[in-house]
Amino acid sequence: MQQAIPYKSWQPFDPLSHSSVSTSSKRAVRGPSINTTDVVSSMVSENAVIVFAKRGCCMSHVVKRLLLGLGANPCVYEVDEGDDEARVLDALEMIVNNNNSNGSHDDRDRQKVQFPAVFIGGKLFGGLDRIMATHITGELIPVLKEAKALWL
Amino acid sequence: MNSPSTQYVTPRRLGIYEPIHQMSTWVENFKSNGNPNTSAPIIVESEDTSHGSQGPFCKYEQEASKPFDKIQRRLAQNREAARKSRLRKKAYVQQLETSRLKLVQLEQELDRARQQGLYVGSGVEGVHMGFSGTVNSAFEMEYGHWLEEQSRQICELRNALQAHIGDVELRILVDAGMSHYFELFRMKTTAAKADVFYVMSGMWKTPAERFFFWIGGFRPSELLKVLVPQLEPLTEQQLIDVCNLRQSCQQAEDALSQGMDKLQQTLAETVAAGQLAEVGYNPRTGTAMDKLEALVSFVSQADHLRQETLQQMSRILTTRQAARGLLALGEYFLRLRALSSLWANRPREPT
Repeated sequence: MQQAIPYKSWQPFDPLSHSSVSTSSKRAVRGPSINTTDVVSSMVSENAVIVFAKRGCCMSHVVKRLLLGLGANPCVYEVDEGDDEARVLDALEMIVNNNNSNGSHDDRDRQKVQFPAVFIGGKLFGGLDRIMATHITGELIPVLKEAKALWL
Repeated sequence: MNSPSTQYVTPRRLGIYEPIHQMSTWVENFKSNGNPNTSAPIIVESEDTSHGSQGPFCKYEQEASKPFDKIQRRLAQNREAARKSRLRKKAYVQQLETSRLKLVQLEQELDRARQQGLYVGSGVEGVHMGFSGTVNSAFEMEYGHWLEEQSRQICELRNALQAHIGDVELRILVDAGMSHYFELFRMKTTAAKADVFYVMSGMWKTPAERFFFWIGGFRPSELLKVLVPQLEPLTEQQLIDVCNLRQSCQQAEDALSQGMDKLQQTLAETVAAGQLAEVGYNPRTGTAMDKLEALVSFVSQADHLRQETLQQMSRILTTRQAARGLLALGEYFLRLRALSSLWANRPREPT
């Protein structure tokens, strides 16, 4: 199968952060301790498809392998346990709810984000469940193509 | 004090001990007499008492000149023999009791297995203990009921298709069949939360089914391979859709399999890195127990995939085709189970 064209080579937003290279060919980045929200938002908006997952989570591995198998080259943001996890979750939830409610913060509509979380085209797509379901029904590939994550 | 008259032994009751009892009574009396040379008549119990046909009164021993030692020795031997006999009987009765309990247990197992149409592996049931054991046997019973309902639905489908009933009624049967599978997935999720290894072991299925096992159940892609030949003729569009479904299914399966491999690898690393006391803690990957929890989500995702695949198939097919598909699927598993029974009852070399 042809190697997917990487959407963009991502540079760390904060020059102070260091990226930890994972064993796969994708970049796994460790977020800096400051400005997590900004980092997260820029990652979401700049990447066609990005997976936020806990470090070492095997479910995120499944998501990665599936997306890779389709020819998409997802960026992966690995989150550590504890504070980092909480901060990233907050940031993601803010992004999600800002998108959904056009700025108004209605508690009823606040969507809970769970790991692994997949963002396609800047919007929250869902978790492994949704990825699986949409792939089986055939909806996933068109969505990926539309977000320019797939070129074929 | 003793009366000088003939002493009775107590009337014979059933049992072989009485003579000995009578013997000891006699001996006590004899001893309390103190004088072996007393002229008072004494009853000597004959040693041939096993048939119980003799009366309690035996030889009338007058001669006090018989050596005291010989009598004593004989009595002692009798006592010994009686004691051993009692012990043997006790042991035999205990053996009988345990065998009886075991028989009851085996009968229960057999009943359960016959109900479920499963082949019960040797010694499997007894291993489960504690809470898991209770939940697992509850699951097995539920699964037994599920299988019965499944057989009934298959028969109903077969009759309905042969009778060429209308699409509306057929749709009801198809929906019922689908819901029945979804019910099984729900049962499995509950069981997996209690004991994921049990669900993953496949011990609740027959050996032939177990051969094809993949993360707690059948492989969705295998399912499609079995179904599609039974569903012809298919339209062009249907063929394309089925082809796409097969491919997506395979891709999803591969992703899950790779995830499982990763889990195995991580768990091995975690256990290798840990001390015996904490059974595996790796600062990078967390505790081994967390890894095992991930297994539950794998079973859940695998069942989710099975469910989605079944649902997508029912979307692609017409009602009649879906009915035929469900029938084919049900009969396939029935045949697998029959194969397991055949194999279980195969003639074996006498060892």
